[in-house]
Amino acid sequence: MLTSEPPYRDPAVLSAIEPGDVTAAPPDVSQEIRPLTNHSSPGHSKPRKAFPVLGIDYTHVRIPFEISLWILLACLMKLGFHVIPSVSNIVPESCLLIVVGLLVGGLIKGVGESPPILKSDIFFLFLLPPIILDAGYFLPLRQFTENLGTILIFAVVGTLWNAFFLGGLMYAVCQISGTGLNHIGLLANLLFGSIISAVDPVAVLAVFEEIHINELLHILVFGESLLNDAVTVVLYHLFEEYANFDQVTVTDIVLGFLSFFVVSLGGVFVGVVYGVIAAFTSRFTSHIRVIEPLFVFLYSYMAYLSAELFHLSGIMALIASGVVMRPYVEANISHKSHTTIKYFLKMWSSVSETLIFIFLGVSTVAGQHYWNWTFVISTLIFCLIARVLGVLGLTWFINKFRIVKLTPKDQFIIAYGGLRGAIAFSLGYLLDYEHFGMRDMFLTAIITVIFFTVFVQGMTIRPLVDLLAVKKKQETKRSINEEIHTQFLDHLLTGIEDICGHYGHHHWKDKLNRFNKKYMKKCLIAGERSKEPQLIAFYHKMEMKQAIELVESGGLGKIPSAISTVSMQNINPKALPVERILPALSKDKEEEIRKILRNNLQKTRQRLRSYNRHTLVADPYEEAWNQMLLRRQKARQLEQKMNNFLTVPSHKLDSPTMSRARIGSDPLAYEPKSDSENLPIITIDPASPQSPESVDLVNEELKGMSRLPPSPEEEEEEGLVMHVKESSSPGTDDVFTPGAGDSPSNQRMMRCLSDPGPRPAPEEGEPFIPKGQ
Amino acid sequence: MGSRASTLLRDEEIEEIKKETGFSHSQITRLYSRFTSLDKGENGTLREDQVNFRGFMRTLAHFRPIEDNEKSKDQNGPEPLNSRSNKLHFAFRLYDLDKDDKISRDELLQVLRMMVGVNISDEQLGSIADRTIQEADQDGDSAISFTEFVKVLEKVDVEQKMSIRFLH
Repeated sequence: MLTSEPPYRDPAVLSAIEPGDVTAAPPDVSQEIRPLTNHSSPGHSKPRKAFPVLGIDYTHVRIPFEISLWILLACLMKLGFHVIPSVSNIVPESCLLIVVGLLVGGLIKGVGESPPILKSDIFFLFLLPPIILDAGYFLPLRQFTENLGTILIFAVVGTLWNAFFLGGLMYAVCQISGTGLNHIGLLANLLFGSIISAVDPVAVLAVFEEIHINELLHILVFGESLLNDAVTVVLYHLFEEYANFDQVTVTDIVLGFLSFFVVSLGGVFVGVVYGVIAAFTSRFTSHIRVIEPLFVFLYSYMAYLSAELFHLSGIMALIASGVVMRPYVEANISHKSHTTIKYFLKMWSSVSETLIFIFLGVSTVAGQHYWNWTFVISTLIFCLIARVLGVLGLTWFINKFRIVKLTPKDQFIIAYGGLRGAIAFSLGYLLDYEHFGMRDMFLTAIITVIFFTVFVQGMTIRPLVDLLAVKKKQETKRSINEEIHTQFLDHLLTGIEDICGHYGHHHWKDKLNRFNKKYMKKCLIAGERSKEPQLIAFYHKMEMKQAIELVESGGLGKIPSAISTVSMQNINPKALPVERILPALSKDKEEEIRKILRNNLQKTRQRLRSYNRHTLVADPYEEAWNQMLLRRQKARQLEQKMNNFLTVPSHKLDSPTMSRARIGSDPLAYEPKSDSENLPIITIDPASPQSPESVDLVNEELKGMSRLPPSPEEEEEEGLVMHVKESSSPGTDDVFTPGAGDSPSNQRMMRCLSDPGPRPAPEEGEPFIPKGQ
Repeated sequence: MGSRASTLLRDEEIEEIKKETGFSHSQITRLYSRFTSLDKGENGTLREDQVNFRGFMRTLAHFRPIEDNEKSKDQNGPEPLNSRSNKLHFAFRLYDLDKDDKISRDELLQVLRMMVGVNISDEQLGSIADRTIQEADQDGDSAISFTEFVKVLEKVDVEQKMSIRFLH
């Protein structure tokens, strides 16, 4: 399947495997069986020979074997690049992979075999969809819709401009006598222009992901590369059909125009239909969680294939289905399926991307080339010029309508980020020789442009981004504050737009949300979640993430004291009035707390007991988390009652039950340490942008806790607050001592979560029992 | 409709509004006609709260997009109504119902309750509110002051979010 085959095959997009290869297999199989039955058919031609203990039958496994070898090569390459980080800082991965492909291709050629070429079928049917699905499923919808107008203009008008400008100029160049290119007609040139003018999503993704540019630019270039597929498809088919006729009539142009709408909107429609079906299916999968991810993948792939079936834009179908199904599917499926989907998509798209670049390299070596200096150089130059002019012109036009204008720096990055990639190559490869004798020259030029953009532009974009001080992506996750306030502003703006009578962005978004809530969610989301507002879903997700981190970091098992159950509220901390005391516990409270502790501690290290793939035990961590939520609520109530006690608390160490409980829960010996230098002190700044997923709730420093005022005014359920404290005063004891007034007594919350968890080395190995400090 | 509106709005008024809010002449007249169409009682104010046209314009001025030429102007005069800080202040004031320059837990709860509807329990909402305050609060007063509010929203593109493209 990966062998090079005679190039003048009809572009049969739907045939993936050549029939010849498949039929090679069965005769071998039958030959294998024959020796065994040889003695029963004496008249057989094969002479009796000894029973083969060991035999080699390569042809039998050849195809899967070679495919696996290629994929393994791709993965090893990826691995290699990350083991040697110095190179990958300068050179983007895509370049390295192409070089590897060149080397491998050269090697194969040197051995005497003919190296495989990236066949268009394989590319379009197997290598491209995972990448696009990954991009579509995880598309940042908010930025995408906010900039949709800009993206569409860049994608449609920009690509058209590129294609015609380039095609026209190339035709002019071809007309120049002496270049030997006179035989290439206008339409052939326009076809060439349309092939090469499309910005390639694979290349853009590969390069832009590494430079971490700010989200606006990323979504602009990336969105453009996705949406220009419709334009490319239409132009390609249009010119391919008519390239051999001398002229194109007006009806053809009108039909082409119409077909653009059909292709793009049809593709989106197909995608939406499949997306809705997928969402609906996921509503019923609560009993068979194992195959949930498969539905997502299959429906999306079917959307792609169905769109390709009708010559609609498969990429847009794939994106549309991913976007439509995602909110509903995520509300329906289990957490594990969600993780599965995420990782499978990332895995497949990553492998695909690697394979594509390697094959580009190999195909360069393997293919037949026809180098014509004029053609290639002028293609390159005009490509760049067309892109720059297009971006400049369109931005001037778009800025009239944008609220946040695109600065010249932005424009430069957009123009510079217009990389061409494997789609152009595959489209060029699809041309057949009968109609396009100059196919080799086209391919050579395409490959040159691809190499130039990927190598030169890909390598230099990172230093340029740094040089121009373009805003980078901020690596933080969304805080709940941002979520609340953004939604609040959404509502506010919708109202203001209503007042002004202005049907803007927010108005339509609000309408869509209402429609969604009223009809779609009821149908497509199972059970109770259908009524869950977005804010609550976001909050749940955040809590779940933190809880899982908490459990994974083992913090749950190492909670030594009662207050830590209360301090589990660190995950959901509440504001605390500055003055605070934690009173002593009466006997029955201690009993309750110990019970809670016991239940907590038991649940942490459960392993999945079921090996049967038909029964998947509910995730013990999820179970534990749900129980923890319940317990937290109980503990909260418990603490509320405790607040009412104003007795002087006893020293933590004194309480025998506490120390017993603590020591009992911790295998390491408990020793109060006097100094704290080697204790990791990780203060948490709640609004800090530097705190990503990892829950660094390790050593919180509480502001001084003192007596709770008896007045009822502040009597709400309060938790323990974590403050950033710079001053560290040793010698203050743990939570139980009354802080005289405030600051000098910094109570350190070193109990719960003193295992730093995901943080790297230096903190590990520290005994995570809080020391009397 | 246009001519009728402009006769009710004197030119000096238009000039004043223009200076105060930064809207252009045509925008002001268009918004005035909108105001009059909203003003069913024809008494020059919206609702019983007596929001007159000046107040209307002043509020809407917060939502004017920030233009590039304004960004470069130095602070030689009072800060324009549509600066980022003023936009945020407007939003802040909507939260802060008792006008004590702080968003307390109750005020936050009220806003949250309005946003999520009736299906969510008080306790859950309370924990969200607590979490929100805890995230934002830096001086430990368990309320969100304006500076904390600004800091929390520093990553949000307020200039784009809180702007409406008023047609020229």
